[in-house]
Amino acid sequence: MSLIPFRTKRATGMEPGSLATLADFRNEMNRLFEGFFSRPLQMPAWFETVEPGQWLPSIDVSETDKQIHVRAELPGIEPNDVDVSVSEDRLVIAGQKTCAKEEAGEGWTHRESHYGSFSRAIPLPEAVDPAKVTARYDKGVLTVELTKSPTSTSRKVPVLAGST
Amino acid sequence: MTTETQPQTELTFRPDVDICDCGNEVLIVADVPGANPGAIDVSFDDGVLSVHAPVAARTLSGRALQQEYGIGDYCRSFKLGEGFDASLISAECRRGVLEIHVPRLASVRPRKIAVRTA
Repeated sequence: MSLIPFRTKRATGMEPGSLATLADFRNEMNRLFEGFFSRPLQMPAWFETVEPGQWLPSIDVSETDKQIHVRAELPGIEPNDVDVSVSEDRLVIAGQKTCAKEEAGEGWTHRESHYGSFSRAIPLPEAVDPAKVTARYDKGVLTVELTKSPTSTSRKVPVLAGST
Repeated sequence: MTTETQPQTELTFRPDVDICDCGNEVLIVADVPGANPGAIDVSFDDGVLSVHAPVAARTLSGRALQQEYGIGDYCRSFKLGEGFDASLISAECRRGVLEIHVPRLASVRPRKIAVRTA
């Protein structure tokens, strides 16, 4: 059996063609540097270690003024097999994906999907209220919505004028 | 059996698949997270099974902080060859996983031959 791959989804760090202009490239570099220096003690996502037999689901993270949204691709998971836990500054998505057709035994001639346990710890950009978290699983995608803690709201610091 | 891919738009992705030769049929299991089951198109023509699973565009809430996967339709074709009963092909999509059962023609299914004693 031969394969002719043209684009693998997991290898895609961003939308194809999203760096079409020099300005886009500059903005992307600024974003990377900003993330590195503002969170120097946190490992980037791609640096997370994976134990043998485990896999890491791909995620999207976005934020508004009041909420943080996390989406994870988890095809073939029973919702009851997903464990979502949250602390003030970290969201953990963990669980197990089993092959429903494992009884086919040695009949599998080609395998690309991930099976086994997975765990993903996602550092949050701001503190959230653990009591105000909702999680929904639909069509193989887990969506978690977190409400930012009111105590973590940003504050504008006035700059005082000196005598000279 | 050969698997092929044919990009249709720039935002087209190849789904991960598992393939099982179960004797009486070939079972193809494809990961298509985010695809709407009602819009998935599965066709079989001249020995080639084609899958097209449309995915709705990403509805971004606010500012993106991290994007590890792209959003686009899933497309993939499988050259199965002869000996399959196209009229009995069935497909089911549940929790972002598409299962396609492709039965073999009765005339080419593996058959156990009973050995009689003299």
